[in-house]
Amino acid sequence: MPVPARGPSIILSPCVGEVARLRVREEASDADAVRAVLAGDVEQYAVLVRRYRDRYARYAARMLGSRDAAEDAVQEALVRAFDQLAACRQPDKFAGWLFLILRNRCFAERRRWSREGRRLELTDEAVAGPGRSDGRLERVERARALERALLELTAEQREVFVLKHYEELSYDEIARTTGATVASLKMRMHRAYDRLRELLKEHA
Amino acid sequence: MSKAYHPQVKALLDGERSLADLPPELRAEAEEAERLLGPVDRTPLFLSPALDARVMAEVRRHAASPVRRAWRRLVEPREFELRLRIRPWMAGAGALAVAAAIAFVVLGRPSATPAGGPTPVRVAARDSIYVRFVLYAPGAKRVAVAGTFNQWDQNAAPLVPAGTSGIWTTTLALSVGQHQYAFVVDGERWVADPGAPAVDDGFGRRNSVVAVTARGARAL
Repeated sequence: MPVPARGPSIILSPCVGEVARLRVREEASDADAVRAVLAGDVEQYAVLVRRYRDRYARYAARMLGSRDAAEDAVQEALVRAFDQLAACRQPDKFAGWLFLILRNRCFAERRRWSREGRRLELTDEAVAGPGRSDGRLERVERARALERALLELTAEQREVFVLKHYEELSYDEIARTTGATVASLKMRMHRAYDRLRELLKEHA
Repeated sequence: MSKAYHPQVKALLDGERSLADLPPELRAEAEEAERLLGPVDRTPLFLSPALDARVMAEVRRHAASPVRRAWRRLVEPREFELRLRIRPWMAGAGALAVAAAIAFVVLGRPSATPAGGPTPVRVAARDSIYVRFVLYAPGAKRVAVAGTFNQWDQNAAPLVPAGTSGIWTTTLALSVGQHQYAFVVDGERWVADPGAPAVDDGFGRRNSVVAVTARGARAL
């Protein structure tokens, strides 16, 4: 009976082994990382932090109108997700669960600002700055005008606009994420179009 | 004020139609709409590199907090495996014992009082028993119990409300014997105990009756 060919054995030095272990750790699935954290390996949470720190930053920045506010919201959402990790019933869907926490933070922050009579403003260049466009002044100016106008929409209208046009999700995906129906999302979006038309008419 | 976009133009913005699908009279409006919403900047946004360290510092602090650790231990679901190694006859005997215990609890202890009415609490002295009076009177401002045991003094035994539930209670030491009583709501309305039988007082009102014995109290 022929013996199957075997490749050469590789003996890893301790140093290489450590690198390999780290790589495996970094490539752990969301579910594995969540289970490891729940089992007491707190450091595994860094995998999830690195993986998701920037994924929803753009959403938060567009919702709150500022990079700093977005960074605070993402940080709070990540810490809160750690505190409530045991409530994450589907660890393989950690990303969607984290998004809902961040979304709640964004809405809560807006409510707080509203109570304090604070007006939403585009407070920095990070959301739409010269370095982030194709360099043409007019286009940059139009992008900033659009983002300024977005802040005038209701939170619900702005969210559906951001998810559809910035995050490029379909209505079905937005409905699955937010729990709203497609019909109500379309209604919000169509009202947002009309409001934006009104707000941006001088740039038309 | 600008008028609303035509529904077909909105469908175009939604990506459900192309410009070529629109009738010629809507082309200008559609092009204007696309110009307005065109400059959406989808460049990814990268947060400060220090964010990871800040989050992990906070996470480690929370993980080390004894209060949070205790809370997590309480709320986190855990899996337990219980293995029993028993002989079949022991399972049968155990089931019989459980059934007997349940029967004893449900049937074996005669009730001192029927449902409702005054309830004996414990023996106060050789010749008296503590009896609890309960009345559900939502909206009442004050409730008292008056009877033969306090010479029908409506200020002698006020009931205390249990939060905002509308339930008023008090516990009195009653001497052995038979007592008639009624509740007085807001100082003017006399109410018989709905949980106890009542007798006519000869003046057109109904009084409730409780019998107190050395072994307890029961509504008559």
